Amino acid sequence: MCGEKTAPQSVAKQVSGRGPELRPFLKVENVTKRFHQVVANDKLSFDVLPGEIHCLLGENGAGKSTIAECIYGIHHQEEGTIYINDKPVALSSPAEAISTGIGMVHQHFVLVESLSVLENIVIGTEAATPILDFKEAEASIRTICERFDVHIDLHAKIWQLPVGQQQWVEILKALFLKVRLLIMDEPTAVLTPQEVQRLFRIFREMTEDGMSVILISHKLDDVMRSDRVTVLRRGKNVGTVTTSNTSKSELTNMMIGREVELRVKRDAHEHSGPLLEIRGLRAKNDFGAEKLSGIDITVNRGEIVGIAGVAGNGQGELFETLMGVRKATDGTVILEGDNITNFSTHNIQKKGMGYIPDDRFSAGLIGDFDVQSNLILGAHKEPPFASKGILNFSKIKEFAQKSIDDFEIKTPSEAAICRTLSGGNAQKVIVAREFAQATKVVLANQPSRGLDVGVIEYMHERLLDKRRSEFGILMASEELDELFGICDRVLVMFKGKILGDFRSEDADIETIGLLMAGQKVSPTRKPV
Amino acid sequence: MSLTIEKRLAPSKKWMVLSILFALVGSAIASALLLRVTGADVGVAFAAFFDGAFGSSRAINKTLLRATPLILTGIAVTVAFRAKIWNIGAEGQLYAGAMASYWIYFIIGPDIGLFILPVLFLAGFAGGGLYGGLAGFLKSRFQVNEVLTTVMLNYVITYFMSYMLVSGPWRDPASYYAQTPRIDKSVWLPKIMSGNKLHIGFIIAVLCAIAVYIMLTRSSLGYEIRAVGHNTRTSMFKGINIGRTAILVMLISGGLAGLAGMIEVFGVSHRLSAEISHGYGFTGIIIAMLAILNPIAIIFVAILFGAFYVGGLTMQVATGVPSVITSAIEAIILLLFLSASTLTRFQITWKDKT
Amino acid sequence: MSELFQETIIISIFAATIRIATPLILAALGELITERAGILNLGVEGTMLMGAFMAFVGAYFSDSIVIGIILAMIGSALMSFITVFMAATLKVEQVVTGLAVNLLAAGMTIYIYKLFFSGGAGGFPTIDPMPTLALPLLSKIPYIGPIFFTQKAITYIAFFMIPAVWFFLYRTKWGLEIRCLGENPKVIDTKGMSVTVRQYFAVIMGGVLIGLGGAFLTIGLVGRFVPEITAGRGWLALVIVIAGNWRPSGILLAALAFAFLEALQLQIQGIGVTHLPYQIFLGLPYVIAIVLMVLKSGKGRSEEPARLGMPYFRGER
Repeated sequence: MCGEKTAPQSVAKQVSGRGPELRPFLKVENVTKRFHQVVANDKLSFDVLPGEIHCLLGENGAGKSTIAECIYGIHHQEEGTIYINDKPVALSSPAEAISTGIGMVHQHFVLVESLSVLENIVIGTEAATPILDFKEAEASIRTICERFDVHIDLHAKIWQLPVGQQQWVEILKALFLKVRLLIMDEPTAVLTPQEVQRLFRIFREMTEDGMSVILISHKLDDVMRSDRVTVLRRGKNVGTVTTSNTSKSELTNMMIGREVELRVKRDAHEHSGPLLEIRGLRAKNDFGAEKLSGIDITVNRGEIVGIAGVAGNGQGELFETLMGVRKATDGTVILEGDNITNFSTHNIQKKGMGYIPDDRFSAGLIGDFDVQSNLILGAHKEPPFASKGILNFSKIKEFAQKSIDDFEIKTPSEAAICRTLSGGNAQKVIVAREFAQATKVVLANQPSRGLDVGVIEYMHERLLDKRRSEFGILMASEELDELFGICDRVLVMFKGKILGDFRSEDADIETIGLLMAGQKVSPTRKPV
Repeated sequence: MSLTIEKRLAPSKKWMVLSILFALVGSAIASALLLRVTGADVGVAFAAFFDGAFGSSRAINKTLLRATPLILTGIAVTVAFRAKIWNIGAEGQLYAGAMASYWIYFIIGPDIGLFILPVLFLAGFAGGGLYGGLAGFLKSRFQVNEVLTTVMLNYVITYFMSYMLVSGPWRDPASYYAQTPRIDKSVWLPKIMSGNKLHIGFIIAVLCAIAVYIMLTRSSLGYEIRAVGHNTRTSMFKGINIGRTAILVMLISGGLAGLAGMIEVFGVSHRLSAEISHGYGFTGIIIAMLAILNPIAIIFVAILFGAFYVGGLTMQVATGVPSVITSAIEAIILLLFLSASTLTRFQITWKDKT
Repeated sequence: MSELFQETIIISIFAATIRIATPLILAALGELITERAGILNLGVEGTMLMGAFMAFVGAYFSDSIVIGIILAMIGSALMSFITVFMAATLKVEQVVTGLAVNLLAAGMTIYIYKLFFSGGAGGFPTIDPMPTLALPLLSKIPYIGPIFFTQKAITYIAFFMIPAVWFFLYRTKWGLEIRCLGENPKVIDTKGMSVTVRQYFAVIMGGVLIGLGGAFLTIGLVGRFVPEITAGRGWLALVIVIAGNWRPSGILLAALAFAFLEALQLQIQGIGVTHLPYQIFLGLPYVIAIVLMVLKSGKGRSEEPARLGMPYFRGER
C-alpha cells in the first residue's frame, strides 16, 4: 500500500532482534480476570514497546476488551500484575491509569452530545479553570490538530459532527492529556476503507513521538498494518508474533484453533421475482432530521440482498420504518403486491416480515423474561400459544424445547432468564423466534456483530436455508466479507440514500469503499 | 482485601425475603426509639399494639376491615407498576370511585335495596378507572409524565369533592361537617358474620387480588403488561401497542382503587366525606413495593398494615403516643426495605487486591 | 370585575405574585440542579415540608429567624442525603425513593409536631414571621417599589438565585461537570472523576434550596406550622422545571405564571367578585400544571437531561 509510513527504525530493529534493547512501556504478567463464573482473561501475559503499534487480535469474547479495561482501571484483575516502565502499578480507576500515561478510546464513544468539542476535551483536566477560561487549552489543541493534519471545528457540538470526526475528538482527549499509551477498541468498525488508511497514518505519526498504540480488533486487515500482534483465544495468549513474519491464514488459525473457511459458500440459486419493493422511502430521526432520503430497494424471492455502509447512515431507521416502528413520511413499501406502508408493527408481522435487530437486548429480547417467553414474543396473543387471551403453557414449553434443540441454544433450560445467555445464544433465540414467525421476508441489522465465528457460520447457513425456501432477505452489515460471502446483491447506503446496487460477483472493495464514503463512481461499474 | 460490588445476572430470591425481614426488624427498633422519645413504656406500647390488632376476634375483624381498601389500592398500584407506569394517583382514583358510586346512589335512591349493589360496584370501578384512564391517555397521547399528572389529579378531585360536599347538592343540611347524609341501611354492604363490622368488601378485595394475579401471570394481557414494564422498546418492535397498554393499565389500576373508594363509602363510613380515606392510595404504594408487586403477597402485607393502623389506635389510648407514629413507621419500613433490596440486585464480595 | 382594576389592588396582586413565587422558585431551582446531575428527586414535597417544619422549630425555640433558616437547611440536607444515598449509592428506583422520602417527612413532621406542640390549652403555637425588608430608596419608586422592593429577605435571595444558579451551571467548572452527569455520566467516570461524589454534592445543594423554599412558608409567611403546609408546592416545582425547559430563565417565567394565577385567585376570593365556587380557584393551579405539560410536549428541543432518572453503573456492557 503506497503512502504508508513504515515502523520507526528502532522498533523495527528491536522486533527483528538486531537493535538495541528497548524496555517495554507496558507489561502484562499472568493476569486473570473473572466475571461471575466466566474466565475472561486466563493467565494472560504480553508486553508493548514504546513507539509500537501492537494489535490484540481475537474473536468476540476472547478477552481483548477485558484486558484493555483492566489496563485502563475500569476493572480490576483477580491475579497477575501490570507493569508500567518496569514498575508494578495498581490501577483501580481510570484516573490512576490516566496519571500513569494510559489513555483509551472506547468502541462506543464517551462524549456529551450537547456540549462542544472543546468542552468535551477539557472537562476534568487541569485546563478546566473555575470560570471556564479555555483560551490556552484551545491553542494547545489546535497545535495538536495541525501536527496531525486534522481539521475540526472546536466549537461545534458533538451531535453535529459525523462519526469519523467524533472519533477524532476521542483521540484528542487522550492526546491532550499527553498519554504515552493509547488503547483503541475496534476503531475501524465505524470507518470507510479510506478513513481507515488515514487513521493508521495518524497512528504512525504518534508512534514517531515514542507513543505506543494498542489496537483491539477482530479484523485481519487492521492487524496486518500493525507491528506485532498478540492473539487471544478464550482469554489466553495463543502467541505474540511480528506482523511481517506471519500471514492472515496463520493468524486465523491461531485465533480460532482450526482451519476455517473464510467464507461460507453460497450456492447458485435463481431468484423468482420481486417480493419486497421499497420505493422513494423517506423518514425522519427522533430529532426531526431526515434520515431516509428516498430509498429504492427491491428484494426478490429466494435472494439475499446486503446493504454495505458505515453505521449511522440510516440503516437502523430503514429497518424501523419497514417494521412500522418509525413513520414513513413519503414513499411506499409493497410486500407481494400489498401496500404495507405505515401499517402497524403487529400487522406487518402478520403479513410475514421478521426482523433481527442489531441491539439484541434493547430491541430484540426482553432480558428479564425467560427464554420461552422471549420465544413467543409477538405471537403471544394467538393460537397455538394463547387462546381467548389465556396463555397455553404446555404449547409454549414444547415450542421452546424444540427451538432450543433445533438452534442448539446453550441454556440450562427454557425457563432460564435471557439476560444470563451469552451474546451468541441470545442471537439464536432471536433468530429462532423470527424464523418461526416470519413467512416471507427476514430483515437483519448487523446480524454477526459481537459473535464468534462458529455462531456466525451457523447463522449464515440458516439464512441460506431461508433463501432456498424462497424467502427474501435484506441485511445490513459492516463486514464486507460477510456481504460478499452470502449476499446475491450488495447495495451501498450513504446518508439515507442507496448509492450503488451490484451483483456481488461484480463488486470490488475499492468501489464499495468509495461509495460508503459518499463519493461518486465512474460508470464503468454496471449496477443491476 | 477490598469490597467489590457486582451486578447480579438474575435477582436473588433469598435476599428478597431477607430484605423484608430486615425492614420489619429495623422498623421495630425504630418504633421503639420513637416511643422512647415520648417517654412511653415501650413494653406497654407494644403490648397494646398487638392486643389491639390481633388480641381478640373483634380485633382481627377490625384489622381485616382496615386491610380491605389497602388490598385494593395495593393491587391497583401493582398492576400499574408492573408496566413501569408510576400511578401515584390511587388516592384520587379512590375518591373518584367513591364519588361515582355515591352519585348513582344519589340518583337511584334506596328503593331497590341490595339490588343496587352490582351497579354501585361497577360505578366505583368505572369512576376510578376513567379518572386513572385520563392520566393514561395523557401519557399515551402526549407523553406527559404520569407521576405528575396523577399527583395533580389527586388535588383536583379533592377540590371537586369539597365543592359537592360543602356547597353542592350532596351536602347534608343537618350536619356541620362537609359530608353527605347517612346512606340508608338497606344499601349498606352486607356483613360477613353478624355482630362484626367486617363486610363482604373484604372477600371482594381478596378475590380481586387473586384475579389480578391470574391476569398477570396467565393471560396475554398480563404478558404484555409485564413486557412493557421490563422493556418498552423491544415490546414496541414486536408489535405490542404501548399507548393502548398504558391506557388499559390505568383503567384497571384506577378501577381497582375506585372500587376501594366505593367499598369504604358503602361498607364503613356509610356516607361520603373527605375522611373515607386515610392516605390509602399512598399506603398502597408502600404495600405494593413491600409485596414485590406480587398480588398474593399484597393480601398479607395489607393485613399487616391494617394491623398497624388498628394497633396504633389502641396504643394511643393506652400510652398517649400519637397514632400518627404509624405513618412514620410505614415510611421507615419502606426505606429500610428499599435499601436492603439493593442486595437482591448486587452482590458484595471480598476480593484479593494484588 | 371592575373593582379589580383599582390601583391598590393591582399593586397588591403583583406584590403577592412575587411573594407566592418565592418558594416555587427556590424549590424549582434546587430540583433543577439535582435533575441536571441526572437524579429525578420526587421527594421535593417532603424535603420542602421538612424545611418548613425545621425552620419553625428553630425559630420557635430560639426566637431567631436565622437559627430557623439554618435548621431548615440542615433538615432538608438530611432528607436530600437520604435521597441521594438511595439513588446514587444503592441505585434504588428513583421514583419510589422520592415517594418514600415524602412519606417519611410527612410522618415524622406530624408525629413530632403532635408530640411537642399541640394539645395545649393555648391553641397552636406561633411565632412572629420574618419582617418585610423594604429596600432603601428603591422601595419608594412608584408602583415598582411596593411590588419588587418591599419584600422579605428570602424573596430577595430567591430572585438572586436565578442568575446565580445560571452562572453556576453554565459558567463554572462544577456546573459543567454537573451537566455532564445528567447527559452522559460515563464521560465523568472515564476522565477519572467520581460520579457519585458529584451527585451527592448536587442533590444536597439542591435540597438546601428546596428547604429554604419550605422555610419561607412557615417563618416567612404565616408564622406557624400546620401539617401538609406545602400543599403540593413541591410537586408544582417539578412541573415548573419541566415547563421551564430545565433553564433558570424558563423556571422564573413558569413560577411567576403560577404565582400570578394564585395571587389573582386570592384577590378574587377576597373581594367576592364572582359567584364561582372557591374550589375552582384552589384547584386551578393543578389543572394549569397539567395543561402546561400537555402544551409543552413535542414543542421545541427539550433540554431534559438525557440520563435523568437512570442510575450509573461503571463498566456496564
